[in-house]
Amino acid sequence: MIAAIPSAVLIGVDGIHVSVEVHVSNGLPGFTVVGLPDAAVRESRDRVRAALLSSGLSWPLRRVTVNLAPSGMRKGGAGLDLPIAIGVLVASGELAPHHVDGFAFVGELGLDGSLRGVPGTVVLAEVLGRYTLVVPPECGPEARLVGGADIRTSTNLGFLVDQLSGGRPWIDEARTDAPGTDAPRTIGDTAADTAANKEKETWSCRPAGNTARSAIDLSDVRGQRLARRALEVAAAGGHHLLLVGPPGSGKTMLAARLPGLLPDLDRSTALEVTRIHSVAGQLLPPSGLVVRPPFRAPHHGVSPVAMIGGGTSWMRPGEISLAHGGVLFLDEMGEFSTVVLDALRQPLEEGHVRVSRARGSTTFPAQFVLVGAMNPCPCGEGGAPGTCRCSEAARERYARRLSAPLLDRFDIAIRVDRPEVDELVGGSPTEGSSVVAGRVAGARHRALGRGVMVNAELAGSLLDEVAPMTRAASSLIERQIRSGHLSARGLHRVHRLARTVADLDDAGSTVEEVHVHEALLLRSRRDLLLGS
Amino acid sequence: MNPLDDGALHAAALAGLPGMTPVRLAKLLDGFQPVVAWQAVRAGTHPADPRRRFSRPARSTELGSIRASYEGSGVRALLPEAAAYPSMLVGDPGAPAVLFALGDPTVLEGRPRVAIVGTRSATHYGRQVASELAGDLAADGVVVVSGLARGIDGAAHAGALRAVSTNAAPPVAVVGTGLDVVYPASNGALWQEVATQGAIFSESALGTQPHPGVFPARNRIIAALSDVVVVVESHLRGGSLYTAEAAARRSIPVCAVPGSVRSRASEGTNALLVDGCTPVRDATDVLVAISLVRSGSAEGSDPGLTLDAPVDSASPSVSPSASPSSPVPPSRGAGLRTPIVNSPPTAAPASCVASRSHRARSLANVLMSGAERTVWEALDDTPTAFETILIRTDMSVASVAEVCDRLVERGLIHSGAGWWSRN
Repeated sequence: MIAAIPSAVLIGVDGIHVSVEVHVSNGLPGFTVVGLPDAAVRESRDRVRAALLSSGLSWPLRRVTVNLAPSGMRKGGAGLDLPIAIGVLVASGELAPHHVDGFAFVGELGLDGSLRGVPGTVVLAEVLGRYTLVVPPECGPEARLVGGADIRTSTNLGFLVDQLSGGRPWIDEARTDAPGTDAPRTIGDTAADTAANKEKETWSCRPAGNTARSAIDLSDVRGQRLARRALEVAAAGGHHLLLVGPPGSGKTMLAARLPGLLPDLDRSTALEVTRIHSVAGQLLPPSGLVVRPPFRAPHHGVSPVAMIGGGTSWMRPGEISLAHGGVLFLDEMGEFSTVVLDALRQPLEEGHVRVSRARGSTTFPAQFVLVGAMNPCPCGEGGAPGTCRCSEAARERYARRLSAPLLDRFDIAIRVDRPEVDELVGGSPTEGSSVVAGRVAGARHRALGRGVMVNAELAGSLLDEVAPMTRAASSLIERQIRSGHLSARGLHRVHRLARTVADLDDAGSTVEEVHVHEALLLRSRRDLLLGS
Repeated sequence: MNPLDDGALHAAALAGLPGMTPVRLAKLLDGFQPVVAWQAVRAGTHPADPRRRFSRPARSTELGSIRASYEGSGVRALLPEAAAYPSMLVGDPGAPAVLFALGDPTVLEGRPRVAIVGTRSATHYGRQVASELAGDLAADGVVVVSGLARGIDGAAHAGALRAVSTNAAPPVAVVGTGLDVVYPASNGALWQEVATQGAIFSESALGTQPHPGVFPARNRIIAALSDVVVVVESHLRGGSLYTAEAAARRSIPVCAVPGSVRSRASEGTNALLVDGCTPVRDATDVLVAISLVRSGSAEGSDPGLTLDAPVDSASPSVSPSASPSSPVPPSRGAGLRTPIVNSPPTAAPASCVASRSHRARSLANVLMSGAERTVWEALDDTPTAFETILIRTDMSVASVAEVCDRLVERGLIHSGAGWWSRN
């Protein structure tokens, strides 16, 4: 007898539909899985058999053949355990075919028959949207994020068989869900979209979220007014930011406060981010949807594959994709391998990365605000000119770690120095993250009106139109170019930055002279690394 | 094209042998004609090379290709008996046995010479003082000698090249590398210009790459070529102190430009001042130190410098007793002994050379707005971070940015690498 159970597996951050075909026939008892399974899928034979037996179900003492269609594509992960088990039950007659009609299954099986979560449920649920999808309980919130999917959960293979055949009710989700889900949700809630929207609201004002925010607040930073302003402008305009300063000057502390200034992710970005995090097996918030911008700070020993994404059998998103929608912080940027740094250039330009391997290629989204931190020289103490004891050659070598094209991606670069003692011990209380975040949200709202997410995306040709300058401002720019302080390349950067600064100051449609002055101060320049 | 005579060719070949140092070369050529020395080295019979370490490389050396490379590059190899060999090196205990030169070696002759040296990691202040000093001295007909390194040296050369006057003197450089190895590469254009207008010397053969040993050795030549050594900025153990020490040993006056006591780049020079070196504020101070009098007092007219009392290395008024082991040369105020002017340097005639920029600055000072003055007051000659300006002025980021840009445009302050300082 034959059974075909719908399921799905991950390829990169995309799910593909897989039909699990099970054939049970007379012959020598045996169990084979065909259709390019990887090691995890081949091992599922043993898990499925043990799970069936320990759930009090019978194992057919006949020849069992499982085919994973389409059979030309390599499939990985343990998520096919559950559909194989259901397929075997149907093909051997334990379960009537009409009981599983319209159902799809995703989940890993324990030897005792329990259902375990698998990464990437969001994506898989999307592919299986037209079925009623059965997933392990921990995957429920994730699976429900995508609109249209009818999701049911079950804890155990034995229960599931009873539930499918109508002998046991489906579990009420509200009681088993993680605490914090707002309203009891009925099965088959087709208004998943509105529910998720509601969830987004509750998530953003949820205590967990609040503690995460207040633990790293901008008000912890004493002094550093220039750096705070740079953070604000970076957050508002999506400008990449380079912090140059000696150790202990608070570069890391500042960078960690950038996500707190960013607004919540919009629905489509949040879904995209959730998909990536889900696929990568990252811990998701209880609601399932990642709504706060992520902050990723990989160590400088990171390999190119870990940074960009890839892998041999299973394409995994890299750090740049995990930072999608949020902040990628590279501390000690000079210590990263040049291969890793140069690999960043294309994603920084295009907002996504295409990873190609012999077995295929996949595209991961990678749109983030890059924050780099670097010592001014190898000894780290390169304070004021004339104080550093590094040799010129060593300093130049160090600065050259950041290739000119990569340095060019940074719109903002500032020096950060150790705060003065008075600022540390005394010092007036400074603005908290929420105040600054308010201004940032306002500026970002204005950018949306120009058809871009953030000002950093503004095309050079659009600038004159969306950021017209007053006469005084353009004459300042002209003087700067004439005196050689500003290059043609730097011009667009300053113009864009000035637009963001003006947006933050709520200055209306024209860019004024004072905004250009501030943009000139913040813009990145190579001499910051090379010394004067 | 400058045909290489046989002696120079063989001396150049010896200098180019791997592992050759100035001291070893001097021993090989001591009492031997270069041709004889070369043949003895090849044969392994040279008494100064008992272990025959140069014998094998010498045998595999092709003299023809050496001749071609020198004649092709325009580099001259000068033996002490050559007419173009700098006269002040003759009789010097550390005189190079062969000196390579690019440009016109005779620009040194008949002109006063001042070495302007200092640290490679200089501050804006130091570079500007070096450049102004060199420019004013060169305009007065003084040959500025330096090392074409980064920082002070390069600024001095650049300043000297900018001098405009009817009897402006060209600069002279002494470098550590071979004359076909431009180091640092960023000084390529400067190097070219010094070679065209003045001269570049080196005691390293063509192709010698920069390595730590060559620079202290070339510092002694800089000192030996000069009438006065001016250290503009130096760290406490900076290489320019070798130059000062070499000068002190030759009884050549050492002067130092005072710096902020908080600036690490001025620690070495301030220590020299404590040890009794003459402080230098402007070109006049240097001219006084080399006992030069100016016949004309009007600025811009041909000053017509005359070398009144040439500072002679054998001058009886100075005892060459400086201890060579001391890290800071106990120059015993070599520069204080100024034969002509009896009054202390502070009473020197008011400078009409370096005060131009001072005057411009004080004029602009009057025309500052309130905010501009506040920012100006928050700055000094040492590099100041933007954050520090914010703290000192208590103004907003935007307004300080605006005021700073305006002051930079007016040439009153300067910014670089995220630091601001007064010009």
